[in-house]
Amino acid sequence: MKTRLLAATALCGALAGAAAAQDYEITVWSGGSGEADSYRWEAVEMAADILEREAAIRGEELNITVDYMWDFGGWAEFKQAVTLAAEAGEAPEIVVTSHLDIAPWSQAGYVVPVEDYLDLDAWPLSDVYPNLMQIASFNGVQWGIPQDSESRPFFFWREHMRALGYTDAEIDALPEAVENGEYTLQNVLEDATRAVEMGLVEEGKGFSPRVSNGPDYAQFYQSFGGELYDEDTGKLVLDRVAMTEFYQFFVDAVEAGITSRTHIGMDWNDWYAEVANGGALMWHGGTWHYGRYLREGNEDFFGTIAFSLIPAGDADVGRANTITHPLVYLITDQGDDDVQNIAAQLVEIATEPRINTLHAIKSAHLAVAESQSDVPLYAQDPWADAATSVLLPFANSQPNHPDYGVYSEAMWSGLESAWTGIQTPEQAVAELEAELTSVLGDELIVR
Amino acid sequence: MRQDRIGLLFLTPALIAVVVFYLLPVVMTAVFAFTNMSTATGIRGGDWMLTEDGLRDLREAGLPEETLTMLEGAGYAVDAAGLAALEAEFGASLAERVRGALEGESFASRRDMERALRDLRAPELRVTRDRKRAAELFLRSTLNTRHATPESLRADLSAAGIPEADHDLIVEEAYTGWSWTTRNFELLVSLPSTARYAVNTLMYVALTLVIFNVGLGLFLAVSTFYLPERTSATFRAIWFMPRILPPVLYVLMWKWLMWDTGFIASVLAPFGVDRINWMMHSEVHAWVAVILINGVVGASFGMIIFASAIKAIPQTMLMASEVDGASRWQQVRFIILPQMRWPILFVTAYQTLSLLASFEYILLSTGGGPGSATEVWAMAAFRTALNNYGGNLQYGLGATFALVLVIIGTALSLLYLRFFNFQALLSKPRIER
Repeated sequence: MKTRLLAATALCGALAGAAAAQDYEITVWSGGSGEADSYRWEAVEMAADILEREAAIRGEELNITVDYMWDFGGWAEFKQAVTLAAEAGEAPEIVVTSHLDIAPWSQAGYVVPVEDYLDLDAWPLSDVYPNLMQIASFNGVQWGIPQDSESRPFFFWREHMRALGYTDAEIDALPEAVENGEYTLQNVLEDATRAVEMGLVEEGKGFSPRVSNGPDYAQFYQSFGGELYDEDTGKLVLDRVAMTEFYQFFVDAVEAGITSRTHIGMDWNDWYAEVANGGALMWHGGTWHYGRYLREGNEDFFGTIAFSLIPAGDADVGRANTITHPLVYLITDQGDDDVQNIAAQLVEIATEPRINTLHAIKSAHLAVAESQSDVPLYAQDPWADAATSVLLPFANSQPNHPDYGVYSEAMWSGLESAWTGIQTPEQAVAELEAELTSVLGDELIVR
Repeated sequence: MRQDRIGLLFLTPALIAVVVFYLLPVVMTAVFAFTNMSTATGIRGGDWMLTEDGLRDLREAGLPEETLTMLEGAGYAVDAAGLAALEAEFGASLAERVRGALEGESFASRRDMERALRDLRAPELRVTRDRKRAAELFLRSTLNTRHATPESLRADLSAAGIPEADHDLIVEEAYTGWSWTTRNFELLVSLPSTARYAVNTLMYVALTLVIFNVGLGLFLAVSTFYLPERTSATFRAIWFMPRILPPVLYVLMWKWLMWDTGFIASVLAPFGVDRINWMMHSEVHAWVAVILINGVVGASFGMIIFASAIKAIPQTMLMASEVDGASRWQQVRFIILPQMRWPILFVTAYQTLSLLASFEYILLSTGGGPGSATEVWAMAAFRTALNNYGGNLQYGLGATFALVLVIIGTALSLLYLRFFNFQALLSKPRIER
C-alpha cells in the first residue's frame, strides 16, 4: 500500500514536472556565413540562455536547445536547402538569410511575420535603424529582424593616388568629393588610365571590380541615375539610358586597359590578396572586407586605403551611392505558435545592442541599432565607427520584390556580354529589355 | 509460361529503375513545365492572402475604387463585436476599460492598434502575446491574413462588406500558389536568349561528338590496335585518366594551363606574346576550351568501346587481308570500319544524350561566359530552376527547358536507330535464317 502510494506520488510529481517544464529545440540555419560570422547563431544560443534564466525567475522551467548549421557551400545550396526543407515540413525554426528572400518566402508561406510575436515599439526593436526595419519588411508587414548591416564602398590605394599627384589632404577629401558628385566614374577612368600608363599598376588593374555577380553591380546602375524599383506602383524599373551608360562604363574601362576583359570569374582569393596589398589603384567591395584585408597581411588599413561611396556616373548624372544588403532573422512556419513565439523571442534578444555588437565587430559588419555606437566594443573599433558615419546614411537596398532575382540575373548577364565584348552596350540593353519585358510582363516599368 | 515469369522477375529491378529514375522524373518535369511554379508559389499548392501588392494589381485589373478603399482602409475598429469578443476572452473589466477609452475609434495599422492598447497599461495586456491576441479581436481588414481555402477568404470579405460581385477577382488575385499555364513555352519561343542557348548546344554537342567522342575515340582505338599490347594498354590508360579525375580537379588543371597566370601564358610570355586568359579571352577561345575540356574526357569512352569492338574482329580476316597484300589503311577502311557500325551507333547515341544533358565542365570552366557565349541549354535549365542569387527560383520555366531536352533526346535516339539501321543489326545472322 505504502509503495503504491509512493509510486503514485512519484508519478504525479513527474507528470506535474513534465507539465511545468517546457522543452524547445530551436535550429538556426545561416546562409552565406563563415567562421567569422559565428555570432549569427551564437547570439541565438546566448539569447536562449537569457530566456531560460528569465523563465526561471518567473518560476517556470524552460529548456531550449539550440542547434545550428552554416556550412552550406554557397547561397544557392543554402536557399535550396531551406526551401526544400520548408516544403517537406522540416524547416529550421530560425533562418539567417538575405532580405531578398522575404518576398518569395513570405508568399510561399515558409515564414511567419515577426510582428505576430514581437512588440516593434519596445526595446530593443524600437532602437533598430528604421531604414533597416523597412528593408526587413514586405507589403507593409514586418517579416524579419535585421541581423547585420553593411555597405559596399569604393576603395582607393593611397600610395598610387599620391603617385598620381594627389596630396594627402586631397585623398582624405575624396569621400566628400565623391559624395558631392565632384569626383565621378569619369575621373575614375582618367586616373586609372594614368596609373596604368605610369606603370603604377599592371594593365587591367587600374580598376578591379568584384569578380562575380552580386548586389554591388546595381550600385553602378544607380550611379548613372538608374532606379531599381518604383515605390508608388511596387514595380521593378528598367531605365534604358542608365543601364546603357552603366554597361558603357565597364566597356570603356576595358578599352582603356584599366580593367581586364577576362576579369569576371577571377579567383576570389587571388583578388583579395591583390587589392589588399596595392595590386590595384581602385576597386570596390564591402565593409566586411576590412577584416579580410587584415588577414591578407595589410596591417595598416587606414594608412594605405581610402574609401568612399560608389561615385556618380558623371557630373550632373546620377548620384554617389552604396547598397546595403542586410541579412535578416526570419521565423519559419512550424505550425506551432508556441515554437514560433520562442524563436521570435530569441531573435529579439539576439538583437540587443551588446549581443549584436559581438557579431558586428567579429565579422566586420555594421550595427543594426542606433545605441550600438554606445557599446564600447563598437565605439572603440576604428572601422565600424568610420564606416557607419561615411556610408550607412546614404545606403539604400535592393527591392524586396519576388521577381528581383530574375531582374538582377538578367542585368548581370547583359553586363557580362558587354564587358567581354560579345555585344555592344546598346545590343545588351535591347536584349535585356526584351528578356525582362517577356518574363516579368506587368511587373516591370521600362523608362 | 513459367520461364516467362522468371524472365519478368529478372527484369523487375530494371523496370523499377526505369520507372523511378527515368519515367517519373520525366513525367514530373512535364507536369512542372506547364505551371508557373517558383519559390514564391511553393510546390505543394497555395493559400489565399491579399497583400498591398495585390491591391495595386487589383486596381489595375479594374476593381471598383469603392471596394479598394474598403479593403485598404478597414484596419482595426473598436466596435461592439470586438468588445464582446474581448469580454469573452479577457473578462468584463478589461472590456469595460477598452470601451471607455477607445470605443468607436479605428486604427489604420496593427502597430497603431497595439500602441493604443499598450497605452492603457491594463494588467491583462502586459504580456506582448496577450496584447496581440486582444488587438486581433478588433481586426477588420482582410489584408495579410492567410486563408487555407478560398471560401474562408470569401467569408472574410463578406464580413467586411465587400460586394459579392468583386469576390471572384479578389480571390483570384489573393491566390499565392502556382497555376497551370503554357506561358513557359511561349517564353522559350520568344526570348532572344533561348535561341542562343539552342545554337550553343548544337555547336557544343556536334563538335565535341564528331571531333572527339567519335573521331578521336576511333582514331585512338585503331592506332593503339596496331601497337604492341603492353604499349597500347599504357597509352589507353593515360587517355582514361581525365575520366577518373574529379571534374573540379580536372577543370582546375585546365585553368592552370589556360589562365593569364597559367602555363600557356607563362611559356609564351618570353616570346613577347601578351599574357591573356586563353580560356576566356574571346568567344573563340572559350569555345575551343569548352570543346577540348569535354572532348578529352569524352574520347576515352569511345576509345574503350571501339578498341574492344576491334578486338572482337576475327584475326583470320586481318591475316587473310595481309596475305592478299592489303595495306594498313585498306584494313582499316574495308575490314575494321565496316564492322564498327554498331559501336559507333552506340557511342554516338549515348554521347549525344549525355552531352545534351551535361554542363558541369562548362559551368566549372567558362561558367557559360564570356557573356553567355558558351551557355548551353542544360545549364540554362539549371540556372533558371536552381540557381538565383536573388532567391526566386523558377521551377516551371526551368522544367520547360529540361522538357525540351528530353523531347530532343528521345527524338534523336529514334533517329539514330533508324539512321544506323538498328533492325538489321539485330537480325539473325544469314546463316541461321
